[in-house]
Amino acid sequence: MFQRRRVRLLLALLVAVAIALVTVDFRSGDDSGLDRLRGVATSVLRPIQDGVGVLIRPFGDAAGAVGDLFAVRSENRELRARVEVLEERRRVLDDLERENAELRDLLAIADRTELPTVTARVVALAPSNFEWTITIDVGAADGVERGMPVIDGDGLVGRIIQVTPNASRVLLAIDPSFSAAARTALTGEVGMIDGRGGDPMALRLLDPAAVVDVGDAIVTASYQGGVFPAGIPIGTVSQVTEGTSPLAREVQVNPYVDFTRLHHVVVVFTTGVDDIPPFEGTEGFEFRRPPVPPLLDPGPTDGDEEGEEEADEAGDEQDDGSGSGSDEDDDAQASAPLRGVVVTGP
Amino acid sequence: MIVRGIVVGLLLVAAVVLQTALFPALTLFGFRPDLLLLLTVVIATRDGELAGVRVGAVAGLMTDLLVASSPVGLGVFVYGVAGALVGWSRPYFAPTSLTAPLVLAAAGSVLGTAAYGVLASLLADERVGASLVLQGAIAVGLYNTLLAPAAGALVRRISEAFPLRGAGTE
Repeated sequence: MFQRRRVRLLLALLVAVAIALVTVDFRSGDDSGLDRLRGVATSVLRPIQDGVGVLIRPFGDAAGAVGDLFAVRSENRELRARVEVLEERRRVLDDLERENAELRDLLAIADRTELPTVTARVVALAPSNFEWTITIDVGAADGVERGMPVIDGDGLVGRIIQVTPNASRVLLAIDPSFSAAARTALTGEVGMIDGRGGDPMALRLLDPAAVVDVGDAIVTASYQGGVFPAGIPIGTVSQVTEGTSPLAREVQVNPYVDFTRLHHVVVVFTTGVDDIPPFEGTEGFEFRRPPVPPLLDPGPTDGDEEGEEEADEAGDEQDDGSGSGSDEDDDAQASAPLRGVVVTGP
Repeated sequence: MIVRGIVVGLLLVAAVVLQTALFPALTLFGFRPDLLLLLTVVIATRDGELAGVRVGAVAGLMTDLLVASSPVGLGVFVYGVAGALVGWSRPYFAPTSLTAPLVLAAAGSVLGTAAYGVLASLLADERVGASLVLQGAIAVGLYNTLLAPAAGALVRRISEAFPLRGAGTE
């Protein structure tokens, strides 16, 4: 009896502590005490995971490779067919490369590989089956910051969500909470791509009527405030379905990256696209109401020429810089046809 | 008692390291076993609900500190309750049954994983859908059941070497 009461008391205490922790974690920000505690746990476990991983990973990879053998035969057949297609494409590739180089020179676009990067080793994955994150062995000491994109040789891996001095945590692109701007490489149709855990990623196209075919390549798109440079390969379209509503359409995307075989990744040192600065010398400009004709009184139908003359006169006065605030001028502007927004200097 | 606590703590750390460093390469339908939940269930099956709650709370806290998207406290709650429920259900099975530990491991893993997924979906990430939770619960339940005999043998040896004393023990 005593034992059962003790267990119940302990369980009630546990539930109360759990609810308190959840509440505190929700109400606190990114740099709260609990978040720092997570960072400490990651930092402490990182060397152990690193050391153990180096020892036992080869065994894990070998065991995983045994399972892959079953798929090798069908994959080989598929690859042979693809080689034939690629041979055809290679013939036109040289010309495209030359053209690409010329266009890059013309537009002076910095190649994305010129961005500073740091290579990292994957030391662990998240223990939860409902969170797709990895821990890498570079951190704030190496210049890594929260939000930076992470890629590997195949394409987009994810983005940094937690940084400690010697380790960082990366939210993988297949995590359900991951989202990024993306576009089709061929036609440039834009949309948002989301992770779906173990299932293929989902690309939500902005234009439901966009033409997208199976096999189309999907790359990242940059936008103001976004964190990913444009053009990072994400995957290929694996299934195209008709939109369930006229405003929304999703296509499934198979990622290029094999997220179960991540060993080395690259952190790209970019903090996204800067906001567009205001035009130089535009400070102090004032917005003036355009000369809009009255809605209820369109004016005499046979006197349009007079109205235009009045408007021209009013416009001349504005050009002279005089009479900008008189009632007569306002009347003249109101009866003039719409000619656009007038912006004048101080 | 203190030595046993240290040994069980080291066992949990070893489970975390294996779960995060080895088993990502050995997935079953894309999912990994939940070794911390398995140890909670196995210890609760062997040593009772008090030990289950204690180990579950520590294992849940370790999970909470090593994930980023779920709130701290969710694992403490789910794993602790799972340990208590498995411990409470233990007297209803025959003590010498060979299948009882497997059934408890399967049921505890499926229900624990499903509860964690549902609560994570409600509290943290609503995009963790019902089908994903269902797939994860079934895969983790299957994987944990396969590993349950090995985990049971390990826990039995630890319990024999460092027996639990005081209230709540057999």
